[in-house]
Amino acid sequence: MRFEKYFEPTTVEDCCQILKEHGSDAKILAGGTDIVPRLKNKSWNPIAIIGIGKIPHIDDIVVSKEGLELGAGAQLRKISMDKSLEKDYKVIMEAAGHVSSMQIRNIATIGGNACNASPSADAIQGLMVMDATAVIASSQGTREVPIEDFFTGPGKNVLNEGEILLRFKVPAPKPGTGAVYKKFAIRGDTDISIVGVACRLTLQEDGTIEEARISLAAVAPKPIRVMAAEKALVDKKLTAELIEEIGEIAADICTPISDQRGTAEYRKEMIRVWTRHALKEAKERANAS
Amino acid sequence: MEGLIGKGEKRIDGYDKVTGKGLFASDYVNQFPNLAHIKAYRSPYAHAKIRSFDVSKAEALEGVICILTGYEPGLDWDQFPKTSVIAKDETLWAGQIIALVCADTLEIAEKAIELIEADFEKLPAVLSYNEAIKPNPVSVVDPDYETRPLGFTDRPGDRASNRVSPNVVGAFKLHAGDVDNAMAKAETIVEGEFWTGKKTASPLECANAICRYDSDGGITMWSNGAGVHGVIKQGICRILHMEESKVRIIQPYMGGSFGSRLNPYIEMLTALICLKTKKTVSFQYTREELFIGAPSNWPCMTKVKLGATKEGTIIANDYYLAEEIGACLNNTFFSGRLSSSGAIPVYRFPNLRMDTCAVATNTVPAAEYRGLGCPEAEFGIECLVNQLADELGMSPVEVRMKNIIDKGERDAHGELITSIGLKACLQSVADVIKVEEEPKQDMGVWKKGRGCAVGGKQNTPLGRSEAEVWYNSDGSLQLFISCDENGMGATTTMAQIVANEFQVPITEVRVTKGDTAITPYDNYSASSRTTYNTGNAVKFACEDAISKLKEEIARVYGLHPSKVELKGKKAFLSGSHLQEVDIPSLFNPTSMFTQGNWGLQKGSPVKGRGIFCPAPIHQWNDKGLSDRVWNWFQYSAAAVEVAVNEETGQVKVLKVASSADTGNPINPKLVESQIEGGVHMAIGFYLNEEHLFDENGKIANANFSDYRLPTILDMPMNEDVYPLINPDPLPDGPYGAKGMAESIVIPVGPAIAHGIYKAVGVRVNGYPMTAERVLALIKEKKAKEAAK
Repeated sequence: MRFEKYFEPTTVEDCCQILKEHGSDAKILAGGTDIVPRLKNKSWNPIAIIGIGKIPHIDDIVVSKEGLELGAGAQLRKISMDKSLEKDYKVIMEAAGHVSSMQIRNIATIGGNACNASPSADAIQGLMVMDATAVIASSQGTREVPIEDFFTGPGKNVLNEGEILLRFKVPAPKPGTGAVYKKFAIRGDTDISIVGVACRLTLQEDGTIEEARISLAAVAPKPIRVMAAEKALVDKKLTAELIEEIGEIAADICTPISDQRGTAEYRKEMIRVWTRHALKEAKERANAS
Repeated sequence: MEGLIGKGEKRIDGYDKVTGKGLFASDYVNQFPNLAHIKAYRSPYAHAKIRSFDVSKAEALEGVICILTGYEPGLDWDQFPKTSVIAKDETLWAGQIIALVCADTLEIAEKAIELIEADFEKLPAVLSYNEAIKPNPVSVVDPDYETRPLGFTDRPGDRASNRVSPNVVGAFKLHAGDVDNAMAKAETIVEGEFWTGKKTASPLECANAICRYDSDGGITMWSNGAGVHGVIKQGICRILHMEESKVRIIQPYMGGSFGSRLNPYIEMLTALICLKTKKTVSFQYTREELFIGAPSNWPCMTKVKLGATKEGTIIANDYYLAEEIGACLNNTFFSGRLSSSGAIPVYRFPNLRMDTCAVATNTVPAAEYRGLGCPEAEFGIECLVNQLADELGMSPVEVRMKNIIDKGERDAHGELITSIGLKACLQSVADVIKVEEEPKQDMGVWKKGRGCAVGGKQNTPLGRSEAEVWYNSDGSLQLFISCDENGMGATTTMAQIVANEFQVPITEVRVTKGDTAITPYDNYSASSRTTYNTGNAVKFACEDAISKLKEEIARVYGLHPSKVELKGKKAFLSGSHLQEVDIPSLFNPTSMFTQGNWGLQKGSPVKGRGIFCPAPIHQWNDKGLSDRVWNWFQYSAAAVEVAVNEETGQVKVLKVASSADTGNPINPKLVESQIEGGVHMAIGFYLNEEHLFDENGKIANANFSDYRLPTILDMPMNEDVYPLINPDPLPDGPYGAKGMAESIVIPVGPAIAHGIYKAVGVRVNGYPMTAERVLALIKEKKAKEAAK
């Protein structure tokens, strides 16, 4: 593991300047749980490493009336333990809390989990169903990208050379909202997910679904929203038949591969199973909110 | 003080290990200022022709000391351990070494590996028994098998005859009674085909060796391999033609073995490069290399047919077994006999036909792995005994009680069973888990079920163990042994024997072990034999030292040695003016100028020596029968309560009781730890662990992320694990003790399989019983029910 230069900028501007100067030769280091193994096995050979831990507010978690601002450098364990998120953003805590082991969560960050853009990333699944927006900075200023557009393929995201992910903005949910993330893996959180299903339901007072979000992990080249299922839910009440139907839609839409963690068929079946569980639990939470 | 046998003494290496003060073999990397490092270039394909292989750029890299290939002159690769054979024109498994680079630093060695240019022609490969056993397989792993001389002579059946496939490279047949006739008379027949997965032992410490070139042309090696004398030193002397005086092997603490370190695959190559470079060299395996470049277990495929009376008495067993042994050329080790051996001493099989063979594949060569194939071989039998119980409406406990061999009976080989506590083991685990009662279904989609099984494993009467005991002039004791301490606690047990013999607290005993220049011969710790073999040798050594000490004391007081009794630091005399003497006071003080130092002298211990070798086998006849094929037998029973998730197929072990017949346990606490360790190993072994292959035939999950060993969270809670001991003393064991470590794993799997059946009604006929496989069976069952 060798690189030539190491930077620790103390402002976003400095960071963007360094990124601009080094272009594709620079890599950002947040928690390091994805980059360090790659440096070690030499699948990445950057010249410069930029540690972002000293950028002010990079790991802030701020809840306001408008919503949540989640710094890209916020550690997953910190997110998963933050009591201020419990009321409206439980799904974000939950998804962050399902990433790997506690040792990993202690240092891995939400921004890192997003930028690594693994299809099986758990932590970003909460953001997917809460309509989060990514705030991206460069020397030209900042731009915002909806989270579902942030990922472009396995290991790929929308960041251009010279850009850094600063934070996520999550709008405050409407009353009657419940959301949940279900991770499925054989050895629990320690394993990389075989599948993951996040679901949010916002219910009207009579239980009619006003808004729905379903997002899937590990069953497509990137995290995917199941729009067809979301549409099929709106303006309906969640019945046993509807739950079955949505499970089918989700299983149909996903395009998993077979690998050492599970076959494509098994993954589809698990999407069916866990979509059903996620829907039921999201509804329970919405009712309780 | 009371005797120490049967006392749960604390581990004598515990403090050293938990405080990190003790050095493991891999810690020695930091002990040498100038250490050269070895890295391997390995085959990316399961089977390939090496069209070209160019190391010139790597060799030119500054800091590269040498590059070793299969073309190195003067080496007989047939003599090397199978996984250390360097490929020449053809590679036989993905991971086979093609070149070894030795460089000044690890980084340079890694860089040099990247500079090697190779061109392969990928050839068809057989990765499983099913592909390998075809009459015209796409790959014949050892085409010269037929014409090569076998290592053994006059062992009936070793040479595979009637080979259904050219990949069959060993065979064994046994026929006791008349199976066809008995099967025709049977009132109930159960039969099935069973398979098991390919696994790698996962000790925490990966294989490693450091070899120092000494100024006299000799070598000194520190490694975590097993058998400092019998495996490593002898191997180096034989294969590399070294004089015995010039090879010294030291075994620091070992970070686990599970049988896998009995194979000196890293030691031979490290010594070879040390001699070639005349430098101190280090070879440290990575975790990935442990999967692709170290021996695996050997999966077994069995076809079993049991015939029984309607009362549940088994009268016939027709049994086929194939060991899948990987890319073992020149096989003389495998024939199926080892695996199937454990099945013979458990049940009364008045009529037994075994037809077994070994099948080669293009996968990493197999070698010793905890249980020596018995967990794989007995799975099918145990599953069928459970099925027999279900079909006859009997309890799985009852049906076993009818068929388990009793002490004093002979097994199907013709061997006399002198120690078997299996019925008590079974009853104890069945009682704790309440196997004969239905669990309450209170976990939603998780359905509960209970199951039980038993298992047996032979002990091989190989080897020779020696021990030396010093009675120091201050009354403290020192023990010198060379058995392996894989982590099982053997050192503590041996110290306990010494303390017991001399009637002193265990804290008075210090153990020096595992250094061929200092400690006496022992071949290796395997086949759960350490307590028995080395234990007997230690007891002999103590007796020898005691008798010498008595003689010395008797001489002081003008007595016959029989008039002297020892207890710790005191001697009790009869027929003398003194009744009791303090032994250390009898050792004469000396100074630099003292002369005439005969007799007991301060600083010069009284030494005792013990040697133990078990009696040899009696060669079996052409029916595979003999009254002594093995030595003694260890037994275990397990009962589990499992929960099966109907939606996902996941299996959780909620409770497990495991009982060992250890003979008289010397240290019951260590036996309990062994049981707990064995059970937890078994949970991974039966539920998750297996090699999966990618399109090149390379292990796709050669890491701890995807090779799913159970974590602490996958194990049942401590209060739900019941380690039980039901000893039947072994007449020839030290204090009636025998070994137990391997048998624990055997019954856990079939017990889980029966628990799954009880929970969701499907019979799993192989393992690992992964969620995906269990779910497929559940779905198949539901589809069948829907079709009705």
